[in-house]
Amino acid sequence: MSDSDPYVQKHQQLLRDLKNTVEGLLVSQVANVWSIYGGLNRLHCSVEKIFKHGCKSPGIESTSYFDFIQGLEWLQPENSKSYFSIDCEYKPHLPQNLKDDKASIWLYRSLENHSLSQKLSWLLSDKTHLLKCYQEYAFLSQEKYAEAALICLRAVERNQASLMSEINPCLFLLEANAKEFHKMHRRCSSYPDDHFKKDYSGGDKKPKGPPTKTPVIRGKLKPWHSMPSLRSDSFKIKSKQMFTQSKTTPSTPLYTKKISTSALKIDYKSMQYPKVRKSNLKKGFSKAKKETRHVIINNCDIIEHTPPLSSSQSSGGAMGNEDLMNLSTKSLPETRNLAHSPRLVDSFLPLPGEKDYRKAPKKSFIEDGGMSVLPMATGYFPRPVKGQSLLSFLTSSQFARANAELDRENAHFSISEAIISAMEQIRCRRDFKLTDDQFDDSDPEIMDLKQRIRLRRREKMVEKQKKVWSESLLSDGRTDTATTVSPCSTTPDTLSESASSDEVEDFDIDEASNLSEDHGLSASMASLYSEADVLKRPRGAPDGASDVFSAEGVALSLISKFNEKQLPRASDLEWLVSEEDAPQALLPLPKSWPVSPDDSETTSTLLRGTQEWAPPRPQIIFTIHPPPTRKTLIAKQNYRCAGCSMKVAQQYASRYRYCDYLGRYFCTGCHTNQLALIPGRVIQKWDFTRYPVSSFSYRLLEQMYSDPLFRVFELNKHIWKMSKNLQLCRRFRLGLFYLKDFIFACRFAESIRERLEQEKSYLLTDPEVYSMEDLVNVRNGDMKLRLKYLIEVCCRHTSECKLCVARGFICEICNAPEVIFPWQMRKVSRCNQCGTCYHISCWNPSDKPCNKCLRISKRRESIGNSSHDNF
Amino acid sequence: MASRKKVLLKVIILGDSSVGKTSLMNQYVNRKFSNQYKATIGADFLTKEVTVDDRSVTMQIWDTAGQERFQSLGVAFYRGADCCVLVFDVTAPNTFKSLDSWRDEFLIQASPREPENFPFVLLGNKVDLEPRAISSKRAQQWCQMKNNIPYFETSAKEGLNVEQAFLAIAKNALAQQNSTVDLYNEFPDQIKLTNTNKPNSNGDSCAC
Repeated sequence: MSDSDPYVQKHQQLLRDLKNTVEGLLVSQVANVWSIYGGLNRLHCSVEKIFKHGCKSPGIESTSYFDFIQGLEWLQPENSKSYFSIDCEYKPHLPQNLKDDKASIWLYRSLENHSLSQKLSWLLSDKTHLLKCYQEYAFLSQEKYAEAALICLRAVERNQASLMSEINPCLFLLEANAKEFHKMHRRCSSYPDDHFKKDYSGGDKKPKGPPTKTPVIRGKLKPWHSMPSLRSDSFKIKSKQMFTQSKTTPSTPLYTKKISTSALKIDYKSMQYPKVRKSNLKKGFSKAKKETRHVIINNCDIIEHTPPLSSSQSSGGAMGNEDLMNLSTKSLPETRNLAHSPRLVDSFLPLPGEKDYRKAPKKSFIEDGGMSVLPMATGYFPRPVKGQSLLSFLTSSQFARANAELDRENAHFSISEAIISAMEQIRCRRDFKLTDDQFDDSDPEIMDLKQRIRLRRREKMVEKQKKVWSESLLSDGRTDTATTVSPCSTTPDTLSESASSDEVEDFDIDEASNLSEDHGLSASMASLYSEADVLKRPRGAPDGASDVFSAEGVALSLISKFNEKQLPRASDLEWLVSEEDAPQALLPLPKSWPVSPDDSETTSTLLRGTQEWAPPRPQIIFTIHPPPTRKTLIAKQNYRCAGCSMKVAQQYASRYRYCDYLGRYFCTGCHTNQLALIPGRVIQKWDFTRYPVSSFSYRLLEQMYSDPLFRVFELNKHIWKMSKNLQLCRRFRLGLFYLKDFIFACRFAESIRERLEQEKSYLLTDPEVYSMEDLVNVRNGDMKLRLKYLIEVCCRHTSECKLCVARGFICEICNAPEVIFPWQMRKVSRCNQCGTCYHISCWNPSDKPCNKCLRISKRRESIGNSSHDNF
Repeated sequence: MASRKKVLLKVIILGDSSVGKTSLMNQYVNRKFSNQYKATIGADFLTKEVTVDDRSVTMQIWDTAGQERFQSLGVAFYRGADCCVLVFDVTAPNTFKSLDSWRDEFLIQASPREPENFPFVLLGNKVDLEPRAISSKRAQQWCQMKNNIPYFETSAKEGLNVEQAFLAIAKNALAQQNSTVDLYNEFPDQIKLTNTNKPNSNGDSCAC
């Protein structure tokens, strides 16, 4: 790599820019990096600079690297199309300055849906193509720099700041150390997320995806297709929101400013949203219903505009959303931001679930009975006790119970609804009562403080007014921080925003540009942190209240700035549950039920699911389901998904997918065609084919994979006929079972004992029990080899060890001096009662009783008799 | 053979559980006593060099499990024993009553050539404890019936009579070995291994 100094400097500068941007995005640790104001723009900007650097294309700069990108068309044909073709639909949502630049749009979109690193690595993999499009000195032509850029992109995509440490620090020095870097190259170019490897699926679920070339790639592609697709609908909203808010992100002053103003226009156009921003309440309320409709339509549009993606999860979300949206958009005036909130919440959809799944310390099935594998929904939403404060309700352990993914998501709707109305209430109170006092706030901190002071002042008035509003509205969460619905938005500026006049926005933009470039990021970061007082609790704790991104966590962070007495009782709020889908737990209980008077109020008896549906249970199923007939089975399921109870119209029932483990049909959200071994099929048929199962089953099966749950020889008397390996393993296991007694009792066998102790204990102590993993290993012969090795080691010891030989047996029938051991199953028969061993030829257990047993029983008798016999 | 080579005397201690077999052995070999009870698993041995009748001999004392629950382990070590020590607890009559079965069991499993002449020694342990359930007279009567077995009353805790008892045991064992050495000169190889090529050697060699 021939780098003359200026180039290297340029490379370094580009990389540093990118790195800084990425670090800025990741430092706040929000679930979705794009919810950071202007984050996408900033990143887009940095990445584009990189793409443009040293580009050969003679054309105008803006389209320069389009040729390069087009390489994807033949590198990954099925992938590129969707992105080039979607432009026209996508256009309205883009920042204006990008509009005419195909390449730029592509870049933007790829960044947005977290697929750029993948695509770029494909592109980079073709060196000739790379060199055709780029000069030798180009940033992307420098393998190590390109790699570092890839790392940055990946860090963003996976939201893992730690990845950044993989960047070779030498790249920032003048003399880069290429050798050292080489190692990392391989690591980085490896494909992402190996837990998807198991997905290796036969049926690609995406409607769009044409069959990919090789199954390997298919498996690996999957996450990249499906994950971003989940977000993509929300992303659009996100990106819009980001632009509207990007005025607070000073880090890229010029650029953002430009974009944000333009974006604002687009935003509203695309939303077809009447300009109610100067929301004063009187107007807002009267208008509410009409506006609602607009938003809803728009919502659907957006979802339909993302055809290539996720028929699966988003469809479920979309259907559910609509009802909720209806309700949530009631609270319109502030809607510019608030209306997004349910969908913002939606954007967490893939993340919390995934995270929990991966992060939660894995418990095996045996440890927790599969209770940690949650169904998509249990239909549980806690109810406040009468008089319970909002704060205590949200922190109550009840939320920890609602752990199912969909329940938690739905909780976002319910809770955000409550908070939204509360904010609205406060807002209009204030609008009635107060003239807006503006301060010249250039320092966000001062502003924040001032805001707090004002809030305090208002508290009293608010309280007076509370009664007036409490019937229709849910009362205050926080006055004006509409934007804080997403935990990552900022506080200080929101006050002025809440006044939400155009002037204020302009002012904000100016203010943003005031901040120097250097401090830009940190300033915005600081504002995030000030917000994040509450968010400082450990992230990723799996259950309810402790998770910052759970509905109640977000809500808590919203209301935490408020004095509790200002908040309404949780029980006064109208919680959002549609009657029909109400879980039985929420329906009034029959009076005849023996419910203790203490319980009836405080804890609702938890019934699983609704009248038409119950969530799947963590079962171990040993048998094979009869081949399904879709029609009857789905009818039996009341046309509901067995996982989340989502209803399906009869004509679409064919879309539902059969879970071979539970023998039920699931919606595409709950069943992503993951493939798994089915224990029943293994045990009954020795069939190790992987069948499609629901996500619930998949996780359940994964969890029980290593657990010794299957007494295969009891479950299927003929199973030994099906596999010679199994027969062998059974013998070895029994042999080890005997051997381990000798080894564990021998003081000369320390090392072997340690070796044996490394094995799972059931392998030695319970010779008949197997886990699925064991059975797989039996089938592929690994188990046989491993057991054989252990047996050999143990046998060698016992035959050489004086102590162990001394503890062997001598056949007392033939009295031959040869020592025999119980594991010599070919020539030794062992009494099941007393454990004495004889030669098989000397004693057959079915022929006559064991000599020693006879003596033992005789002795027992004589002891009983001789108790009076004096010697 | 016996005079030229180093003599190894194999002694087996038998008796009900918790009569003090391990304690006796420990007292004799290590001069230590512990009040803690720890059930012996299977069988284990200690060795001690002693001088008997001006001859230096190595005593290999096999302590056994009195409990029957360690079924997976066998008693092949009975074979080739030179002396069997039966122990009972003078305060626990049942331990005395089961002496017969221990003796029989030993004779069956060890199957010595001359069972009626095989040297046994009886130890009535825990004489430091009160109250006595088995009088020394009764124990001696039993010994007379069994071909005049030597009888010692010991206390492993206080080291009472332990030394003397084991000296007697060694003498008996040596006598047994001398008398049978011509008959059983195959003794060291008496334990044959079934599943290996390598027969167990006489020494303390162990693969581990």
